[in-house]
Amino acid sequence: MKIAVCVKQVPDSWAEKKLRDGDAILDRESVEGVMNELDEYAVEEALKIVEANGSGEVVVVSMGPDRAAEAVRKALSMGADSGIHLADASLAGSDAVATSYALAKVIDGRGFDLVLFGSESTDARMSVVPAMVAERLGLAQLTFANKVEVAGGSVTIDRVSDNGIETITATLPAVVSVVEKINEPRYPSFKGIMAAKKKPVETLSAADAGLDTAQIGLGAAWSKVDSFAARPPKAAGVVVQDEGNGGIAIADFLAAQKVL
Amino acid sequence: MESDMVLRLIVGLALTIGILAFAGRRMAFLVKLARSGKPASGRLTDPTARVEAEAVEVLGQRKLLKWTIPGIAHVFAFWGFLVLGATILEVYGALFISDFAIPIVGHWSLVGFLEDLFGLLVLVGISIFAILRLRNNPEKRGRWSRFFGSHTSGAWIILFMIFNVVWTLFLYRAAQYNTGVFPFMDGGAFVTETVASWLEPLGETANEWLETIGIWLQIAVVLLFLLIVLHSKHLHIGAAPVNVFTSRRPNALGPLLPMMYNGEPLNFEDPPEDALFGKGHIAEFTWKGYVDFMSCTECGRCQSQCPAWNTEKPLSPKLMIMNLRDTMFAQSDYLLAAKGKHPGLGEFDEAALNSLSPEVRAEVERPFIGSREGSEHSAEDGYTFDGHRSTGADLAIIDEEALWNCTTCGACVNQCPVDIEHIDHFIDMRRNQVMIASDFPTELNGLFKNLENKGNPWGMNASDRNAWIGEVDFDVAVFGANGEDTIPADVDYLFWVGCAGAFEDRAKRTTKNVAELMHIAGVKFMVLGEGETCTGDPARRAGNEFLFQMQAAQNVEVLNEIKATKIVVTCPHCLNTLKREYPQLGGNYDVVHHTELLNDLVKAGRLTPVNKIDKTVTYHDPCYLGRHNKIYTPPRELVGATVENTVEMERSGDKSFCCGAGGARMWMEEKIGTRINQNRGDEAIATGAKRIAVACPFCSVMLNDAVTSRQQEEGRAVGVEVVDVSTLLLNATKS
Repeated sequence: MKIAVCVKQVPDSWAEKKLRDGDAILDRESVEGVMNELDEYAVEEALKIVEANGSGEVVVVSMGPDRAAEAVRKALSMGADSGIHLADASLAGSDAVATSYALAKVIDGRGFDLVLFGSESTDARMSVVPAMVAERLGLAQLTFANKVEVAGGSVTIDRVSDNGIETITATLPAVVSVVEKINEPRYPSFKGIMAAKKKPVETLSAADAGLDTAQIGLGAAWSKVDSFAARPPKAAGVVVQDEGNGGIAIADFLAAQKVL
Repeated sequence: MESDMVLRLIVGLALTIGILAFAGRRMAFLVKLARSGKPASGRLTDPTARVEAEAVEVLGQRKLLKWTIPGIAHVFAFWGFLVLGATILEVYGALFISDFAIPIVGHWSLVGFLEDLFGLLVLVGISIFAILRLRNNPEKRGRWSRFFGSHTSGAWIILFMIFNVVWTLFLYRAAQYNTGVFPFMDGGAFVTETVASWLEPLGETANEWLETIGIWLQIAVVLLFLLIVLHSKHLHIGAAPVNVFTSRRPNALGPLLPMMYNGEPLNFEDPPEDALFGKGHIAEFTWKGYVDFMSCTECGRCQSQCPAWNTEKPLSPKLMIMNLRDTMFAQSDYLLAAKGKHPGLGEFDEAALNSLSPEVRAEVERPFIGSREGSEHSAEDGYTFDGHRSTGADLAIIDEEALWNCTTCGACVNQCPVDIEHIDHFIDMRRNQVMIASDFPTELNGLFKNLENKGNPWGMNASDRNAWIGEVDFDVAVFGANGEDTIPADVDYLFWVGCAGAFEDRAKRTTKNVAELMHIAGVKFMVLGEGETCTGDPARRAGNEFLFQMQAAQNVEVLNEIKATKIVVTCPHCLNTLKREYPQLGGNYDVVHHTELLNDLVKAGRLTPVNKIDKTVTYHDPCYLGRHNKIYTPPRELVGATVENTVEMERSGDKSFCCGAGGARMWMEEKIGTRINQNRGDEAIATGAKRIAVACPFCSVMLNDAVTSRQQEEGRAVGVEVVDVSTLLLNATKS
């Protein structure tokens, strides 16, 4: 069982984020980078599958600038075996379509039985990259899993959707994305952190990965930011002092807001 | 007569040699066992303090006397044994020379008087002990007895043996008196004389025989007592003086010990392959740990003060130490065979392992820390509170639930008469659980991530650290705002706001109070703002030493770079870490708590409380201000200066009861038993005080929750408020 887990380094989910003035790309330098929290569940699930299986290999795949290596290292400290880091200046500004192209190129031909993703990244929150990668690889896509079972050459998931839970089975290899209800990601032990320093990480440039530069980066993006503005600061609320007419004042206010 | 003396000598010496041979073997075993521990460093530095400790704690019995009646009873027994040492000399002398006396002082009436007096006092002492044991019978009082889980039958045997020592002493002495060979024929030995008057009518021959038999009995009893001591919890007679001498001075509170490797602080950047990270097996403890375990007398003073035990949780510090001791003995074959070469990290010394019997081997390979659910001692709610390894033998030795119950409040360490270092052992085991086993309460995951990513336990943004400054109407100097690269010379204090002080609403109020009071008093201070991060206290106490080291190194680097010298804090945990733990990383600062600074300002007349508050106030000692850092008086003086009436809770000062938040418990769920904060809150409410004064942001949150829940659920505690001492002062100062 050879599993790829795609992880992304994102700006700290709770930090205030800014877009760069010039090209409207997210300013990653100004914010602490962390491994996308949802990807931690994917790493955990991959480790669990391998542990349950008794043998196997978990390979972390990440695309991002140099410091995204920290996210790869984090996944390795949790217990993944090796990493592939695709880093190239020409990738900057890639949208979901370009990202899926790049990731698929890296994953393809390496003999993975399963490709795991977190259900979304906490910065872009599109949830489409797993589906796009599956499409590009020509594999089945099983998304939004809160339960994954691998047995006898097939994978079965419980897929969470607004309408309920669907059970889906596909033959391997397949692409699976997981939601945060699936497990409790482990905290890397110090032993794990030390061991991670010695685990192999393959760093690839766009050329190494055989990418067509016309299909990646900001220039190739299908979507474009025309303009943006900071969210206006929260306006102060209206305080109604109750001087005997509090009820009426509130009713008037709600009527003015067209609530009543 | 001559042949009688030969018989007396032969029997006396035979007894002695026979029993001493066993005792000697046992002693050699115990010494070898202790020496098989891993190295411990700094245990002999500052010999003056150690000799002083020996004088005050061993000879002076200071810690025992914290509890008056049991303390006095122990003083009688202890000093009795020291004084009766002279009678041992006399009894052995009498084996050779029937009218033997100690040279020079041997006939002094005073000596005879003291010997008899202390013989009698020993009897008084053991009588008190017997009464205490009957009144505190764990079979009747269950976990509310401090002897719960202690070896009570063993204790009774000891009391009986001491009784035997005393009566055989007076038997042979009285007979000596009647046969005329007693060294104190001129008076003084008043008990001996009384007993002699009872024996006298038996006649001379009978008294001659009683003399010899009494001497044999005395020797036999004393030696048997020695043998029993060496095989029981009474080992403290020999182990405790060693333990006190090698203990952490002045005590094992305040800073935690750094992790060591071969006598040097462990380098976390590049740790050696064979370094240990905490304690994950009994063979990983140091020799000092083993002496700690041997010293435990099962008295239960620790347990009686423990916030976890008093709220019906599995942790008893006493049972934990007993459990470790029993494990040490059960695995002693391995410890002796491995001779400190146990590799740890889940590995064993194979040669040593292979030399063991199957039973001992199974014991050695048994999981060390884990769940003990399902043990025979399970409480009805399914949780265990037993320190008895003998039950549920297939389960882990140390109950993980108990391990995580500890709030590191220090009540146990503070009480322990033999200076056992409970907290250090618990944290060492937590270190193993976090850094090696990665098996700890899941709530801590969030804490660790927040500390790693955001530098504070709440996961707030560093940019919000200065939010409180916008809520005060005076200027607050922020480091770097005017391009400073070191703290300007005219700044009196660096105000270390702390994470709670910056992000937690109640603590933020304290921050603003303290800033305003300093502003009023004309104290120039500066804050670090976004440059501040958590000191690392919660990470360290949760066992994540690696994370603590990273945070501490970062803070020390910043503080040294900006040349910080004097620092004021509002959080006792920050105080303890900045003042007492950062010196381990090369950061030496003069750190004061706001209650100390404000009290000095009031005393110096720079702050004047004008409107004394017309409410009764009770002050709650935070563990990390009081027990860990011995700051009891300044906050009390400050409260006294601002209010009309104060009232003390029964558990106050060094017996203060924890709020439940220490030891990173603030970020863990409290699922078992009753709530610690409620226990303390109820005690504070019961004083009738309308204001509960606190001096720690965590105590503030915990006690406020406790009071609020009583108000909401039961309509009790009406009008009671939990306030920081600074709030009282500010209200009293502003007219």
